[in-house]
Amino acid sequence: MELYEYNLHELTEKLKSKEISPSELFESCKKRIDACEENIHAFITHTEDFAKAQLNKELTGIFAGVPTVLKDNLCTKGIRTTAASKILGNWRPPYDATAWKDLREAGAVLMGKVNMDEFAMGNTCGNSAFGPTHNPNDISRVPGGSSGGSAAAVSAGYVPFALGSDTGGSIRQPASYCGVYGLKPTYGMVSRYGLISYGSSLDQIGPFARTVRDLQLVMSVISNYDPMDSSCFREKAHDFTHNENPSIKGKKIALVKEFQGFTLDAPIADAMNKIKKILEDEGAIITEVSLPVVARYAVACYYALAMSEAHTNLERYDGVRLGYTVKDAAGIKEMFERVRSYGFGPEVKSRIIAGTCLTEPTRCEEYYVAATKVRTLIAQEFSRAFGETDFILQPVTPSMPPKIGEADDDAMKGYEADLYTLPVNLAGLPGLSFFTGYADKLPVGLQLIGPRWSDPELLHAGVIIERHTGSPKIANGGVK
Amino acid sequence: MKLTSEEVNEIALESRLLLNEAELAGAVRYINNFLDMLDRFRELDLKDVEPFSFAEALECPLRDDVVTAFPDTEAILHESEHVDGSYFKVPRIMEE
Amino acid sequence: MAELTFTPVIGIEIHIRLKSDSKLFCSCSTDTDAAPNTNICPVCMGLPGTLPRLNHKVVEQGILAGLALNCGIRPKSLFFRKSYFYPDLPKGHQVSQCDLPITTSGYIEVHDAEGNLKKIRVHHLHLEEDVGSLHHSASDGRLEGADTSYVDYNRCGTPLAEIVSEPDVASAAEAVEYVMNLRRRVIYSGASDVELEKGMMRFDANVSMKCSDGRWGHKVEVKNMNSFKALERAIEFEIKRQKKLMLNGEDVIQETRHWNDAKGITSPSRVKENYRKFIVEPDLPPLHVTQEWIDRMKAKMPEMPDVKARRYVSEMKIPPEVADVLTDDKNLAAYFEACVAAGANPVRASHWVRTEVLRVMNEKQWKIADFNIKPEVLASLVARVDEGKISTTQGKEVFDYMTANNSGVDEAIKKLGITEGGVAGNALNDVIQTVLKNNPDVLEEIKSGKDTKGKKLKFLQGLVMKETKGQAKPQEVAEALNTII
Repeated sequence: MELYEYNLHELTEKLKSKEISPSELFESCKKRIDACEENIHAFITHTEDFAKAQLNKELTGIFAGVPTVLKDNLCTKGIRTTAASKILGNWRPPYDATAWKDLREAGAVLMGKVNMDEFAMGNTCGNSAFGPTHNPNDISRVPGGSSGGSAAAVSAGYVPFALGSDTGGSIRQPASYCGVYGLKPTYGMVSRYGLISYGSSLDQIGPFARTVRDLQLVMSVISNYDPMDSSCFREKAHDFTHNENPSIKGKKIALVKEFQGFTLDAPIADAMNKIKKILEDEGAIITEVSLPVVARYAVACYYALAMSEAHTNLERYDGVRLGYTVKDAAGIKEMFERVRSYGFGPEVKSRIIAGTCLTEPTRCEEYYVAATKVRTLIAQEFSRAFGETDFILQPVTPSMPPKIGEADDDAMKGYEADLYTLPVNLAGLPGLSFFTGYADKLPVGLQLIGPRWSDPELLHAGVIIERHTGSPKIANGGVK
Repeated sequence: MKLTSEEVNEIALESRLLLNEAELAGAVRYINNFLDMLDRFRELDLKDVEPFSFAEALECPLRDDVVTAFPDTEAILHESEHVDGSYFKVPRIMEE
Repeated sequence: MAELTFTPVIGIEIHIRLKSDSKLFCSCSTDTDAAPNTNICPVCMGLPGTLPRLNHKVVEQGILAGLALNCGIRPKSLFFRKSYFYPDLPKGHQVSQCDLPITTSGYIEVHDAEGNLKKIRVHHLHLEEDVGSLHHSASDGRLEGADTSYVDYNRCGTPLAEIVSEPDVASAAEAVEYVMNLRRRVIYSGASDVELEKGMMRFDANVSMKCSDGRWGHKVEVKNMNSFKALERAIEFEIKRQKKLMLNGEDVIQETRHWNDAKGITSPSRVKENYRKFIVEPDLPPLHVTQEWIDRMKAKMPEMPDVKARRYVSEMKIPPEVADVLTDDKNLAAYFEACVAAGANPVRASHWVRTEVLRVMNEKQWKIADFNIKPEVLASLVARVDEGKISTTQGKEVFDYMTANNSGVDEAIKKLGITEGGVAGNALNDVIQTVLKNNPDVLEEIKSGKDTKGKKLKFLQGLVMKETKGQAKPQEVAEALNTII
């Protein structure tokens, strides 16, 4: 068995006991990357030199010597960070994102910055200035997005774990498409400092890994209060210690009544039944909750808010202080227009225009302010629901990963497909995307949602499910 | 059609975006479909609903008024192609 | 047909730089005199991924300034993003409390044309971040005609209070009194030093005209005034300009105009700044201010200058113009009140402080803190003059001696050879005898009755007064002279 095939918790033990050395592991992962990368194209920037420099120093911490990759919207000091956009050019941030700083100080070794949809706007990892990433389980298919590069890297065995960000499903959906575990933590649990913003009130950083136990390990390192993020929650201490035999006996797990009418691809519907059965066998009580407002208004509410916030987050890209620019503009307006028109991709431009439109004085009340109110209703609806149940079980997506380029040309249809993931962000809830098995070689994932701050319990439940389904295999990555 | 292509183009310019014909056509379709989707809000009675809700009833934490200079301002200036001496140099601001 | 009359309707927006060591949302220094682009960091430069952190001190300064304007304090306020593209604005939006500010409404009192007190309502005060500063390549350093501009982001993110008035101001004079009174109150509160020469106070004015024939001209926003004088001149210019237009039956167009201080005119602004509706700043949860906190700030508030001045007038019978001077500076007022507390007659003390103390401070370029005569010392000097122990002229000599030599009253009097309590009785007779002895001819003339107009007698009196260094009472001298002669 090759070193790259081991899971995170196994590797940390082997490294700790000096059974293997960081450089051996680095070489093994590097070989794996070299073997698959031309098929998968997960990387935007390789950081081998940085990694070697790290290996030359004495690494300490629970991840000492463990290779990882970061979604390229996480700032890395002195290392190009692009958010998969032309507009950031070769920007090298003068500071580290807090989540990366935590990993670095725990000894993690950076293999590279990986692909995503530009500014995290998309769910295929195809809206990237650096071209699409391919699904390691079937390279003709999308890995999902926006954190497609992180999911693909973990699924293909490049690294045992990776970080991504989730604004409306950007961790959970690619995790499901690629057959790995992904957690979107409670809003405020992981510092957003150094995460290039898309929808600030929705964004949250989270981990990808090949076992739930590995997610627990990563969360134990990155879930800290950070004074640099004012939306980071102070008074909470989180215990992500792995529990060998957790129990969900007597716990209520609900399905969403309004979702039952919606059609699902057969493998996903089958997975729902399979997991229900497993949970019942474990002594959980399967119930039903009603989320009428979520079912009908969440998608519209989400995109209204995401775009309103996004267009202001993207106002800073004007070519003056960093990134792509032009030197020969006659006036400042021309400079801004040329920089932004060339620098942003089509999807980003559409969302900027939409966000600008929604916040125009004439439309603000009707759209933006209304959306903030709908969000209140949605949050209330969820807290009511979690008065009646401990967890909610639902799909991540209604359908299996599409072929690359097959994406629907009606953007709104694509947005509707996010119905199962984005309500979680609107209410700031934690959501676990977990592996359930394969349907002719393609992984099938589902989602478990809990109330705010229930992330540790959510992962305990994940451990139980994993014990029944088994962990996902490393995808062949297009290599026979 | 809620917005004409002229209106969409006006909004694009306000966002400092110049669209070619294809982009503009796409944007018009996109924005109008999107606004149609948002019409659903009209079904709701939002009169007495709290706006601007946050994920949790968070209070804004307050920082002590202590000066800590950023150690590497050079690294910031270094990233701009418009730095001239110690200033950022930009072209004509006044619109003709 | 009756003569048309016009009533100016003026609202004023003021930006005041609040006093703090670090910026509003980051830990950079607020020292704007530093070398360009040295007080910058990823946060105030709006670098991708950075987030704001609110400065506790600035919130307190906002509360103090609000209280100084008689405003209420909101228990919950919010920050918003105010979008526009400009090179001095790194994020492309300004973070400002515009829509749900930290204070509710308040007011400032001014005197109207008839001299009656009138309230100018303050709509609200809110906190916001300042932008960077621009230097233009044009020869006159102005924006117009500059082919390139240079940006210094040191000022970017320094804390501002924006104070928006209701359109209650009816003249340039009221406008000036409003901003002067407001400035003094804010300084008293400790929220800001409001040093005008450092651009810590900037004004915009919304000017429109109401005509007696019922016409109401459009509102014109006049920007770019940085001094009281500029504000006054700009408003006067606008009033004339709009009046003329309306007299000619023309329309006043709603627009933004820039005040050109050099030319003394306003001209249409050619910079397009179209603010959009604000969205909530999602990176800053609501700001909560507890009643307990407000009370603590209220306890810190000193007596406000205009209130103090009125008290001086009513309780101490001090002339209004003097009271105004004394209360202009919190510390000067404190000095004056210490004199009175030490027993000095308020009216006398006020004149001493206003004339002598301020004179010396000006000569020596001192602040009242540097002034080296302790208030109780000045009080005793004032008292002695009051009781006629020494003359006013001597008092001033003593005063100058004390400031020049850091001495006390007694020492000064001794050094100046002044005999307290004056010259009378035998001592006076002796002086007179000497004077007469030295001026036999004058004495003769008087005795021979030639001094019909009493001129000679007056002359002798003068000599006696001179001999006694003015310490003799004039009548006494006259009487004594007569009896002796």
